Formats: sequence, C-alpha cells, structure tokens
Amino acid sequence: MRNGGDNRGRLLLISLIVTALFLITLDLRGVQVITGLRNGSQSALSPVQSVAATIFRPVGNFFSDVTQLGRTRGEIERLKASNEKLQKELIDRKNADAELAQLKSVLDLAGTAKYKVVNAKVISLGSTSSFTQTITIDAGTNDGIRQNMTVITGLGLVGVVKISYPNSALVQLTTDPAFKVGARVAGSQQIGILSGQGTSKAVLQLLDNQTTLKVGDVILARGSVNNRPFVPGVPIGQVTSVDNAAGAVTQTADIKLYVNFSALSTVAVVVSAPKEDPRDALVPRAPVPTPVPTVTIYAQPSESPAP
Amino acid sequence: MFARRFFISLPIFTFIYILQESVVTQFKLFGGGFSLFLIFALLWSALGTPEMGALTGFGAGLLMDLSQTASGPMGQWTLIMILAGFAVSYLGYGDDNFRGNPISLVFIVAAAVVVIRLIYLILGLFLGSDIGSTWSVFLSLFSSAFWSAALAPLLLPVVTRIHEALFDVKSRI
Repeated sequence: MRNGGDNRGRLLLISLIVTALFLITLDLRGVQVITGLRNGSQSALSPVQSVAATIFRPVGNFFSDVTQLGRTRGEIERLKASNEKLQKELIDRKNADAELAQLKSVLDLAGTAKYKVVNAKVISLGSTSSFTQTITIDAGTNDGIRQNMTVITGLGLVGVVKISYPNSALVQLTTDPAFKVGARVAGSQQIGILSGQGTSKAVLQLLDNQTTLKVGDVILARGSVNNRPFVPGVPIGQVTSVDNAAGAVTQTADIKLYVNFSALSTVAVVVSAPKEDPRDALVPRAPVPTPVPTVTIYAQPSESPAP
Repeated sequence: MFARRFFISLPIFTFIYILQESVVTQFKLFGGGFSLFLIFALLWSALGTPEMGALTGFGAGLLMDLSQTASGPMGQWTLIMILAGFAVSYLGYGDDNFRGNPISLVFIVAAAVVVIRLIYLILGLFLGSDIGSTWSVFLSLFSSAFWSAALAPLLLPVVTRIHEALFDVKSRI
C-alpha cells in the first residue's frame, strides 16, 4: 500500500472513513440509537467508576496536593490573612455596634428632653491613684464644650465637664467622691444632695426631714441655674436602701446609679437645654415582666405489687 | 486477518478504556492530565501495518466517542483516530530505522497526541462546539504533549510485549 498499495487496504480505509462520517451524520441528525449507545456505555461504566473513585480518590487527591503544593500553601497563607482581617473587622463591628447602641440610647434620651447634645467618644479613663474618678472625651472647646456642662448617656447622668481643652475634655464622674449634685425624687419631688462614693452607688441626703423615701424611688437631677453644671430631669439612679436612723436630722438613702461606668464608650455633652423642665419625662420605664409558663406535672402512682 | 486482529485487540482496548475512564480520571494532574487510552492506541497503531493502524484507530475512536466526556458528535473521534492510526503506522511502516528507534516512536506519539487534539478542536469548531479560552487550549495541548512524552517511554515496552505475544510478530523495541 505504501508503494501504490493494494486495493483491499485502500477499500478498508475508505470504508472506515465513510463509517465515521455516517456516524457523525446520524448523530447530528439526532438519531436516538447513537445517544443511547453513549448513555448505555456510561451506565455500564458508572459502577466501575464508583468503585475506582473509592479506591483511587485518596491517591488522586495526593497527586493533586503534590502538584498544587505551592499553590495550596499560598492559599492557606492567604486564607489565614483573610481570617485575621475578618476577625479584626468583626471586633471592630462589635465595638461599632455597642457604640451605636449607646449613641442611639443617648440620642433617645436627649431627644425626649429636647437637649442639644454633642456626642463624644471616651478616649481614656482617668487614673484612680489620686482617688478621683474621671474620663477624657474626644470633644472639647472646638466642639462647643465648656466647663460645667452635663454629661449623659442613654441611661442617665455620667458626670460633669471639669476642664475643657480644644479637642478634649475631662469629665468628673458621678461616682467621684468629690462629686455632688442637686437631686429630686421623681413623683414626690423631694429634693436632696447626691454625693459620689467612689463605687457604683451614691448617697442621697434629703433636705427636708418631713418627707420620706422608699426603695425603688427614682432619683433625677434637679437642675442648676442656667442649666450649668446640671440640666434638670436627667435620671441618676434608684433608691436601693433607706437609712432611717433615729438620731438623724434628715433621711439618707443609697442610690444605685443607672449608668454602667465600666462600659462607657460613647457619651453626650448637653450644650443647651430647653427652657421647660422635662420633669419626670426621662424616668426610665419599669421593665415589663415576662410571663413565665407554669408547667404542671401529673404523676400517676404505679400499681404496687400484691403481697 | 484484519478482522481477527481487530477482535483480538478489542478486549485489551476495552480494558484500557475502562482504566482510562474510571481510574485515570481520578487523578487531578497538571493541565488536565493525560489520555492513557490515546497514547496506548497510537503506540499500538505504530506497531502494525497502515491498514491495521486505521482499523485500530477506528475501534479506539469508537470507544472514545462513547465516553460521556466526548463533546463532539458520535463519530468525530472515530474519524480522527482512523486517520491518525493510519498516519502513525504509515510513517514507520517498512522503515526499520524509524521503527527500531524508541525515541522516534515516542516523539511521533507525543506529536500525534497534540495534532490529534488540535484537529479534534478544529473539527469541533466546524461542528459548533465551544472550545474555551485560547490560553486554556494552549495549556491543555502543552500538557498533553508533556504527559505523552513522559508516559510513552513507560508504556512502549508493555505495548510491544503484548503486541508480540498476541500476534507473534517481532515488534519488540
């Protein structure tokens, strides 16, 4: 065939090519037999493939891992970096969410009382080595903050601005032992002086010996002349215990402060207050008790065996 | 004689085909890996006469067309493999210098794999198949040449031994 070849070989070649072309034509015309052949072969092969996959897949994965070793290592490094970044973002997000919640609550409070406030972030907690309790905020005179302005959060009174710098301010906290504020009892409007104690509790001393306090009374800031250093109506805390000592001139009470001073991140400085006293508008709403379902169990004594 | 040889070869090709479809496909190798069946068929064709090579190509192409991974119409692989089997065999037939040199055979097989795939691609284009990006085509062709060149020397002794045992022809290299 190489040198002219025999007709038989040539005929065979032509027959095979024609057969192939015939198959292509049939398939392109959509003859079902051809499709069936392919599906049938796959059906027959699939059990073998399943077994082979079970046996050889670990080997295949090994080869795949070997060939992609550098890429896999790079991928691990990239994923680690990505994971660290995402974790940092998650922490930032949690911080932002907490700050947002505080900001929202403080704006709710300020909005209710129609206070004009400047929001600020707590940038440092003052040293307690000299027995003072202060914080530094990131807003100062450039933001309209002056000395003796009330500082609040969504929960209530935080303290008062003691010193104001261009871009920051020092705030004396309600818990500071030197802190004193004129206070009144919501509802009865009895007045007194609330003093910080260096803890989360403060002490209220009533001015009038004819009035009485009871546990659960809400204490609000009474307000100062021209609203400085204190604007009226800011919630301070709640009476937890009353001292009814026989020899005391006036009644005193322990006050649990509303603000959580260990979790301060965002505060608001009241730069101006409305002319009208909000009175008891800012008294925190009493929590609504959640009904607890009662579970009743019926016990049926089993029959005791006959003696 | 052709029919006898064809039917003797058929079980071996079926076995290699099953091996290719069920085992070789489990390995994720560079550039899509290799086609053991294609290399085997080309080596087998190279050891016979051109007519036998064409017939071998026909059988091999028919099996390749039955694969679910074949994108073209039934008969596309058959047509290409008939021509490839014939051509590979024709190149070495009667030339003992060529057939007696394994390097030449390995080179022919590796080149044939690339050419066959390229022709399959072009024919597929005419028949309306999608071919993907140029880069992926290039990478696939390059890797098939690489794998063929790497595997053909390993397969060649095995193929020649089986061929010799079956057809009693001194084709060992």
